Amino acid sequence: MTNPFSLDEVIELISAVGVETFDIRTITLGISLNSCSDENVNRCATKIYEKVTRIGRNLVPTARHIEKKYGIPIVNKRLSVTPIAQVGGACHGDTLVPLAQALDRAADELGVDFVGGFTAHIQKGFKRGDQLLINSIPDALCATKRVCSSVNVATSAAGINMDGVYRMAQIIKEAAERTRDRDGLACAKLVIFANQPEDNPFMAGACHGNGEAEAIVHVGISGPGVVRAALTNAADLDFGELSELIKKTSFKITRVGELVGREASRMMGIPFGVIDLSLAPTPAEGDSIADILELMGLEKVGCPGTTAALALLNDAVKKGGVMACTYAGGLSGAFIPVTEDAGMCGAVEAGALTIEKLEAMTSVCSVGLDMVAIPGDVSVEVLAGIIADEMAIGVINHKTTACRLIPVPGKKAGEVVDFGGLLGKGPIMDVSKFSPNRFVRRGGRIPAPIHSMRN
Amino acid sequence: MNTQRERVVITVLGANKPGILAGVTRIVADANVNVDDISQKVMQDLFALMLVTDFSQANCTFEEFQGRLQKGADEMKVRIFAQHEDVFKFMHRV
Repeated sequence: MTNPFSLDEVIELISAVGVETFDIRTITLGISLNSCSDENVNRCATKIYEKVTRIGRNLVPTARHIEKKYGIPIVNKRLSVTPIAQVGGACHGDTLVPLAQALDRAADELGVDFVGGFTAHIQKGFKRGDQLLINSIPDALCATKRVCSSVNVATSAAGINMDGVYRMAQIIKEAAERTRDRDGLACAKLVIFANQPEDNPFMAGACHGNGEAEAIVHVGISGPGVVRAALTNAADLDFGELSELIKKTSFKITRVGELVGREASRMMGIPFGVIDLSLAPTPAEGDSIADILELMGLEKVGCPGTTAALALLNDAVKKGGVMACTYAGGLSGAFIPVTEDAGMCGAVEAGALTIEKLEAMTSVCSVGLDMVAIPGDVSVEVLAGIIADEMAIGVINHKTTACRLIPVPGKKAGEVVDFGGLLGKGPIMDVSKFSPNRFVRRGGRIPAPIHSMRN
Repeated sequence: MNTQRERVVITVLGANKPGILAGVTRIVADANVNVDDISQKVMQDLFALMLVTDFSQANCTFEEFQGRLQKGADEMKVRIFAQHEDVFKFMHRV
């Protein structure tokens, strides 16, 4: 039998893993908790723990087996569950914290890194379960290590629930204050969304949506380092050639994700959901979206041309990746977190990147204002205004946008915070001193845009 | 893993010196793993070797095999990777 690939092709993968920090960022197992509702919150918690540990018991062993078989690191093993506001809506009492603790214990028992789904969808208004959940967020984030929370406050079909935006600005401030000794770390596990996907494997915004199966396996790829390495010798390429090069690289790394997803699905006997085609950076040297943009020819990220460069990157990643997999989903695009990306932090420190330019960049990439540390004395109104702007970009452009903002208590713009691990460290970005006080407190909902009416 | 045809790609990278190929193929032979294809390159002082092997008649598990290769790699001061061939097929072929 002839050999189907060359030595060079084999070495290409080995060096992608060994030198360019290529990995599968996550295998995320989605689990429906609709069957766990109960009037008694402790009974509900017990049902959740039992179901999650039963369905998820093979996740970590499966991921370890696949890592060895193919020589590809799988960095995180995660769970996503039905939005807990739905599951806990029937619970008597005034807190859903026991449900978060049950998820945390289950995650610990299974050895998974994070569990997403302490979630509410309030784009049109608050149900009882939503109120309960949102009021429980600061306590839940402080009482657990691995639980992530997300709240969807806007969709292109419903508009923006501005009461929800304002309430979430209050919750962010409260969560930051409650973790003052850790620079507001609780906020790193809390995302506010417009158009939140139901099948996203990435944290902190993963949940298992109502349209999903009973259980499902999703895969999130990574790979900024691989794209960066490909572009290192690409100084003379024109835009068409540049796009082609990124597409080819994206194709290859997505294929590995497709293989991992199929194998994980087969081994666990759980259907394969989607590949999330996102370039997810880490604080590691070279594993940076900012580095890629600067290799394209920007002096520093944030300079004029940055939005166009990011648009090209984001589009090429999708075009290359979508042919490599059966089902694409989740967020799918380039992530531009700040503290998680050493190159982005460098651009902030150099004065090249401001929060306003970052906002513009989010109109062409896959997430939003992600892992942005801001001064701890930011007012609820300014915070609500920043969130509302980000939601408006998502709603009008029919895309996902999100805010993961960390007001760092007691610290000012320019000071450095260190959240540790994948969350990284970086400078605190300045925010406007002018207040949208009267605007964000009007109450009610910003109506859906005219182009949402497609029927 | 031992029931049907399972092709495993073994890659060896390191400084060039006598005996690397012999050392690796000894481990492979001892595990009753057959070599289907072999290619080797020497770039300046860097040695790169690829063996495409049939693991289906192996006398040990894949993890044990990887362990033996790792031991050999430590002794020869090279790096050895053993990966199922599907990962290369998926990555490089449509």
